[in-house]
Amino acid sequence: MKAVGASLPRYDGVAHVTAASRFVDDFSLPGMLWAKALRSPVASARILRLDTARSATMPGVHAVITHSDVPNNVVGHQEVWGIAPDEPLLAEHEVRYVGQLIAVVAAETEAQALAAVQAIEVEFEERPAFFDMRKAWDSDQPHVTPDGNVYFYYPDQPQRQIRKGDVAAAFAEADVIVEGVYRPGAVEQAPAEPASALSVAEPNGRVTIHSTSQALYYSMDITARHLRMPIGQLKFVGGTVGGGFGGKIDTLTEPVTAVLALKARRPVKWRWTREEEMLCSSTRAAWHVEIADAVTRDGWILGRRTLTLHDAGAYMRTSAYACSKHTFHLAGAYSIPACAFNTFVVMTNHVPTAAMRGFGVTSASFAVETHMTRVAEVLGMDPWELRLKNANRVGDTSPSRVVYGNPSTVTTLLVAAEAAGVKLPPKQRAMTNAMREGALLPAHLVEQQRKPETHLLAWRDGRPALEGGS
Amino acid sequence: MKFVVNGRQHTSVASPLTTLLHVLREELGLVGAKAGCQHGSCGSCTVLIDGEPRRSCLTVVATLDGAEITTVEALGDPSHLSDVQVAFNEHYAAQCGFCTPGMLLAATALISRKGRPVEREEVVEALGGHYCRCTGYVRILDAVVAASRGERLGTMAPTALEIRGVEP
Repeated sequence: MKAVGASLPRYDGVAHVTAASRFVDDFSLPGMLWAKALRSPVASARILRLDTARSATMPGVHAVITHSDVPNNVVGHQEVWGIAPDEPLLAEHEVRYVGQLIAVVAAETEAQALAAVQAIEVEFEERPAFFDMRKAWDSDQPHVTPDGNVYFYYPDQPQRQIRKGDVAAAFAEADVIVEGVYRPGAVEQAPAEPASALSVAEPNGRVTIHSTSQALYYSMDITARHLRMPIGQLKFVGGTVGGGFGGKIDTLTEPVTAVLALKARRPVKWRWTREEEMLCSSTRAAWHVEIADAVTRDGWILGRRTLTLHDAGAYMRTSAYACSKHTFHLAGAYSIPACAFNTFVVMTNHVPTAAMRGFGVTSASFAVETHMTRVAEVLGMDPWELRLKNANRVGDTSPSRVVYGNPSTVTTLLVAAEAAGVKLPPKQRAMTNAMREGALLPAHLVEQQRKPETHLLAWRDGRPALEGGS
Repeated sequence: MKFVVNGRQHTSVASPLTTLLHVLREELGLVGAKAGCQHGSCGSCTVLIDGEPRRSCLTVVATLDGAEITTVEALGDPSHLSDVQVAFNEHYAAQCGFCTPGMLLAATALISRKGRPVEREEVVEALGGHYCRCTGYVRILDAVVAASRGERLGTMAPTALEIRGVEP
């Protein structure tokens, strides 16, 4: 373990400080074309007419693509988890958000490509847009999808609705019910390097794609679905990513440049502008989280009810996954014996939303921790004491009934208090994550307790290993 | 338009309103300066023009006749790194590496202009227009201050790992 705590050189440190690291935009190839996109100027509209004939004859233009050029236009980012495909790579009969891709041009220079984009003729019939996720169920609101504004179908993903213990009894027994609403807003990941891709249609039928993806194999899968190609026909080149923070998981630039390169038979590079990165790339979602806690005067949380709305934007992307993760975490790092959590994916005419640092979890943590402080305020109790009292211990169970084998809540709280310069009483400083007993095991927590499970595993080489849940 | 890039004369054939960033990347193949925002906000395209840090995405070649331009490629190579390059590596000031070339050049210009060890406040002032999304800036400040003092920790050399007994 000599490497732990040692200052090891970054494998790419010297390359970074000599600018020898090659980002996608740093590659150029003979005959390479530049891509520029026609994007929707409106949040919701029917496309009445789309004519690229004039654009295709503009100087320097080698290819113009619309939805009919994409072998499999409608793909879902979560098809591997059984969620139906819903998002066109290039818009077909409608647009659902400002910045949605409609057509893309490949020309010899960026300026020529831009001029050709401006020559595309498109006619919209604007529709009322839907933006406020709190009105998702209102009958007078416009529908974002033909199925409405709330996404219900979750194969194998029941976690976004969690039921544990007797919630009605907990709320009946409570001394106080503390309610709160928390609304973390959308955030653009804003990586320093804008989304870029460079695709080459090889003579042997394969396609080489230089990608800024954070999730190379994931992006390969999405691209292969759009191209209807076996994944082995694609060669993705990646690795040097100029920041992503979740925003470079979504896959748009790779399939678009691949379709252009296959049509033009030339390498095609597409480098988004900062405006495109800020306005049209996915963001962290906005969330609406309502929490009601059933608490006792001495600071025990008997039960929790939640309602979360997640603003998925115009297409699903990875929102269902984010909601599952979010819902897992709605008890925070605390033991709550009775839980009823409901989380819904709401479709709006905002830009589709995606991962950003702690996908789905930061919104839960923000809501839960703010709410814990609110509970302490209502009870007139020290917020550290409230947290330490309810902190997960060995043998406590999570909302989804995972038994904690070695939870770190108590340690984390003690370290946080020290770092914040908070002097806790000696009794609290001596706390550990040991199984509950005595005053820390009130009657309402007895039933949720389980013996931590330990599994005996075998490595492939036959060596045994012990695994404890935590 | 004639100007000097990293010590070599260059005659640009680009039209006068072409940006220096475009000429460097597309005409000269010097891709160290990055197109982060292309409107002067992020600093990742910074180069030195007559020793001063300038946004190459906002500088058109018409203004450059007779100028001397230094890009990150001229700062040093892996076997002869400059103090600023060494410090950025040793202090982990480069994370994704995209903003690094611009930061290195702005830091080099600051240290050369002051001709003495610099204070953190001076670095904040000089690098304030440079956007970094990864590091949180603290390590960049550490690196520039250390470089201005000529400090070299020697912690990044492979031999240093052997001395500390770290198995590669």
